[in-house]
Amino acid sequence: MAALQEKKTCSQRMEEFRHYCWNSDTGQLLGRTLSKWVWISLYYVAFYVVMSGLFALAIYILMCTIDPYTPDYQDQLKSPGVTLRPDVYGERGLQIFYNVSDNTSWKDLTKTLHTFLSAYSPEAQEENINCSSGQYFIQKEFHAPNHTKFSCKFTADMLQNCSGLTDPNFGFEEGKPCFIIKMNRIVNFLPSNNNTAPRVDCTFLEKNHKDLGEPLEVDYYPSNGTFSLHYFPYYGKKAQPHYSNPLVAVKFLNIPKNKEVIIVCKIIAENVSFDNPHDPYEGKVEFKLRIQK
Amino acid sequence: MGKKKSEVYSIEVNGIKDIETTNEEDGKEKCKGLKNHLGCEKKPQKEELKKELDLVDHKLNSKELEDKYGTNIIRGLTSTKAAEILAQDGPNALSPPKQTSEIIKFLKQMVGGFSILLWAGAVLCWIAYGIQLSQDKSASMNNVFLGVVLALVVILTGIFAYYQEAKSTNIIASFSKMIPRQALVIRDGEKKEIPAEQLVVGDIVEIKGGDQIPADIRILTSHGCKVDNSSLTGESDPQSRSCDFTHENPLETKNIGFYSTTCLEGTATGMVINTGDRTIIGRIASLASGVGNEKTPIAIEIEHFVHIVAGVAVSLGVIFFIIAVSMKYPVLESIIFLIGIIVANVPEGLLAAVTVSLSLTAKRMAKKNCLVKNLEAVETLGSTSIICSDKTGTLTQNRMTVAHLWFDNQVYQADTSEDQKDQLFDQSSATWASLSKIVTLCNRAEFRPGQESVPIMKKIVMGDASETALLKFSEVTMGDVMERRKRNRKVAEIPFNSTNKFQLSIHETDDPNNKRFLLVMKGAPERILEKCSTIMINGREQPLDESNAEAFQTAYMELGGLGERVLGFCHLYLPEDEFPDTYPFDVEAMNFPTSNLCFVGLLSLIDPPRSTVPDAVAKCRSAGIKVIMVTGDHPITAKAIAKSVGIISANSETVEDIAKRLKVPVEQVNKREAKAAVVNGMELKEMSPEELDEVLINHTEIVFARTSPQQKLIIVEGCQRQDAVVAVTGDGVNDSPALKKADIGIAMGIAGSDAAKNAADMVLLDDNFASIVTGVEEGRLIFDNLKKTIAFTLTKNIAELCPFLIFIIAGVPLPIGTITILFIDLGTDIIPSIALAYEKAESDIMNRKPRHKKKDRLVNQQLALYSYLHIGMLQSLGAFLAYFTVYAEQGFRPAQLIFLRSEWEDDNINDLEDSYGQEWTRYQRNYLEWIGYTAFFVAIMVQQIADLIIRKTRKNSIFQQGLFRNKVIWIGIISQIIIALILSFGFGSVPILNFTRLRVQYWFVAVPYAIVIWLYDEFRKLLIRRYPGSWWDKNMYY
Repeated sequence: MAALQEKKTCSQRMEEFRHYCWNSDTGQLLGRTLSKWVWISLYYVAFYVVMSGLFALAIYILMCTIDPYTPDYQDQLKSPGVTLRPDVYGERGLQIFYNVSDNTSWKDLTKTLHTFLSAYSPEAQEENINCSSGQYFIQKEFHAPNHTKFSCKFTADMLQNCSGLTDPNFGFEEGKPCFIIKMNRIVNFLPSNNNTAPRVDCTFLEKNHKDLGEPLEVDYYPSNGTFSLHYFPYYGKKAQPHYSNPLVAVKFLNIPKNKEVIIVCKIIAENVSFDNPHDPYEGKVEFKLRIQK
Repeated sequence: MGKKKSEVYSIEVNGIKDIETTNEEDGKEKCKGLKNHLGCEKKPQKEELKKELDLVDHKLNSKELEDKYGTNIIRGLTSTKAAEILAQDGPNALSPPKQTSEIIKFLKQMVGGFSILLWAGAVLCWIAYGIQLSQDKSASMNNVFLGVVLALVVILTGIFAYYQEAKSTNIIASFSKMIPRQALVIRDGEKKEIPAEQLVVGDIVEIKGGDQIPADIRILTSHGCKVDNSSLTGESDPQSRSCDFTHENPLETKNIGFYSTTCLEGTATGMVINTGDRTIIGRIASLASGVGNEKTPIAIEIEHFVHIVAGVAVSLGVIFFIIAVSMKYPVLESIIFLIGIIVANVPEGLLAAVTVSLSLTAKRMAKKNCLVKNLEAVETLGSTSIICSDKTGTLTQNRMTVAHLWFDNQVYQADTSEDQKDQLFDQSSATWASLSKIVTLCNRAEFRPGQESVPIMKKIVMGDASETALLKFSEVTMGDVMERRKRNRKVAEIPFNSTNKFQLSIHETDDPNNKRFLLVMKGAPERILEKCSTIMINGREQPLDESNAEAFQTAYMELGGLGERVLGFCHLYLPEDEFPDTYPFDVEAMNFPTSNLCFVGLLSLIDPPRSTVPDAVAKCRSAGIKVIMVTGDHPITAKAIAKSVGIISANSETVEDIAKRLKVPVEQVNKREAKAAVVNGMELKEMSPEELDEVLINHTEIVFARTSPQQKLIIVEGCQRQDAVVAVTGDGVNDSPALKKADIGIAMGIAGSDAAKNAADMVLLDDNFASIVTGVEEGRLIFDNLKKTIAFTLTKNIAELCPFLIFIIAGVPLPIGTITILFIDLGTDIIPSIALAYEKAESDIMNRKPRHKKKDRLVNQQLALYSYLHIGMLQSLGAFLAYFTVYAEQGFRPAQLIFLRSEWEDDNINDLEDSYGQEWTRYQRNYLEWIGYTAFFVAIMVQQIADLIIRKTRKNSIFQQGLFRNKVIWIGIISQIIIALILSFGFGSVPILNFTRLRVQYWFVAVPYAIVIWLYDEFRKLLIRRYPGSWWDKNMYY
């Protein structure tokens, strides 16, 4: 095999490159003359215009096939996620640590709750109607104004002691804090097939707290810790622009002090599963709680 | 001055100069012509290449030799002494050329090509993890995992490439390991047969006709020993060897026999004076192998391509790193983007696919008798523009054959084809009967016994080339020669020698009515004619008059002009009264008449061209390949063979021919008018490089005659100065520098020496020129097909890259993961890209010029642009359509996705709202992201099917090429689909590979785009075919 590549010096290479950038003999700029550049650019512009047009058309057709009210598939939304307020995340998930005697350590937590509940003030819920049926609120037609469907009112005062109205400190001060459990919205989701309302159930995480002896004492608001069925099903943002998730507040009464505990709040309902090993927030919410004194 | 220096003979074996001696009478070194620009002035620099050979053994007598080597000429060495010397000097074998150590080869695969980029990616992954770890103890292992995967990819592809390389090297290794040669040696006073490798200095060896000389030996006794030194000096005439010191120069003296030359006839004993690498051949061979292998054209092309891709990858990576940083992405994330961009840009599987394609072609070529030692040489052969071919054995059959006969004043043609079945000349004449008798009887050659079942032409004959030819000729035409010789018992014989130039024998005849002895004689025609007074015409003896002599001269000149070796035949029936039965013939006293014989006829011999060669040469010509014949033969013979195989076409003339036709002196002829040229080795010696260039440029049909193997190198260099890719054939040891120097050296598998095979890139198993041409065809095909493979592989890079760019700029959830990309590059796309190597040629590839090694690149601008900016873009759009479809149908409309990234990827948001107001946990989003990856992956796969189909041709419509002719393509397509199905369904539940099950319709989202790709490419090809040379053709044809 013979030497096919002559070794070039750096200056030769630079010279070649310079020559490539601007060849004064042929008037070539980067290997093409100016007119050639114009032609090729025109071609590319035309090509990309056509391609973008095709793509836009394809997206347009896609959007036309999509129902504006309900998603085509809910492959991942078989069971709703559950979230907690206040939500402070540590290294591994939610952890709420505070000191009873140190105002500043829980002020932010209560502030979060106040902010969160501001969406549930009577003013914010004005557009929604009062419901008390405790049954699924099935609406086939769009009877609400602007071709929408009605949503049921959920106001903060339904959370009674944990509404922040009676106790603006949500019990944090006394070591009996309130937490708000929210179930994620899923369009057309029915928590159960009969008329049992989904219920929140909070316990210490068993495996970690065999030593605790006494079970967790919880006050649920609204009473029984249920999400009333008249908030279901959800018809989507377009049909129910003012819909707000029903909430359940939990007030823990016997949290041991100066000790990290893990509490899990599950949603008990026929169509809600909480045993997906991959998704820690499906049907339940787990959090660490440590109250210093 | 020269005399004084003659004590020590220096041989310059640097491969550039002829072997040169300094004992010229004129006392000054001759530095003429070509040599002086290399030899004289540069001597000091060449010092390290120059090896001195101080050999004085040829001047010593037996006694001195015995003393010097501590041996005994009669009893040989003792076994113990021999073992001692063997331990000290090592075995008598040429040490194989220094191999790069396996580890180095392996490491080269590990860091070559794209590997270094991927290593960089892997290291970046680990650095990113390190940074994450230092910030947050619970950093996810994803980056480590990705880094490991990248490293694994590099290591696995490296191992694969190494394995392929090793496999092809093994083929040649097994080939070169031949049966160990034996040597007959006298040790402890006994004759022993030992492997030639165990010979040591001082051994006394016996050689006989047909043996290869096992080491450099000093001849002690000789009986008619002749050797063929052609592998050393290029001169193929047999040289006699005796124990006499005849020349100061060890290379010229008759009492030295050289390692690896062959003993043609006779016997000799000799003392081993040099073994192994210290032999003359050993020094030349080790020198030639010291010349480093340079890059092959395809290696340069691939390097060029790697540079392009790596350049694109690195610059895009850096640009987007900067963009990401200036968009306020954290540096850590920017690094991860960088890794993604690199991985997307690097076609991980491509080099493996190229290696496999090349080795497939190498296998195909091996079936056609071209054994390729270096995979990359496969393509080199395809880009060859000049073939410098040997004559003997390559263009010709390498055996003398009777070509013409002249008797009864008429020239008859004999069959010279390989099997000589039809001898169609007139055999009824009585003259033929006499002639055939002479041919049969006046011949010392014999068939080796025990070959009854072998066809005549394949039988092994003991005897020289001409006698063999005559023996086979008479065996074919007359039947059992040996039987007839038995019936006509030989009573006396004078063998041929160069002084009397004839051969004579006297026989009893098998005719019971004719008790006379028959004297038959053959030899150089003019010498035979001198001895004749009569000539046989139509079976009757007539006096040899002027007109007969004239006819003889004409015939002799005619046959000689054809480059044939002419032999004259005559006979004489000795009168019974003077030579009775019991007459004692004495060849020394010559007590019988050797004049006034009866001239019978002429036979002319030639080494005829192989029957397949003229076709092959014509094919080369139409393929734009210049065939140059380089031979040590006489110019007339060379020219005759060149004409008969078409290297010099029928109507073209040399300068000498024109001069002859116009009856003017050679100097007055315009050299440019002559298409052909026959250059003598002597002329070549006098030429300056510029003059040689002129010859090479001005003449299209060139024959170099009477050249030494060293001059071959000069010719090769001359051709390479014309920017040609030169293929050179060779067999001798001295050819090895030329074989090394050539772009592709082709060694002869049968006639070639080990050194030549070592130096060559390719071994021609059947020594046939036509095999080179089939090799060229394969080489050209693989170049075209590699283009297709690369175009196919590059296309999807854009579709893999765009997601990252859009991800960074528009902040959408990541459309495709890094690992998923690896599964395309190393999973679905591997088999299809190899399948393209099986594609048939689009048009007759042997009808176009060889590619210009600097202009016709493997990966040119058109290929890159068309793959990246046309098909690649279409593919990206198709894949994005699939991505948007999945997200939209699951709840996230395209508009929602823009700049969703930071929330989407936030582990602490478990109620992210989609376009319908639904809320998603992190895991639910993640899973959707993986569905997106899978859909994107499937979309690319589907469009790669279209890409594969369009890449079958570069110019013709798919329908012209035939959709189903290449079955392997379909295997490729099926493999793509099956791999995708396995990934999607098989690993569906293993989240670590990021593949999920897909709804059926998502498999088909990109199909319209696949069709668009195919239509667009058909449109492109149509315009190229319609408007060749147009703007479109120039910009769109790759």
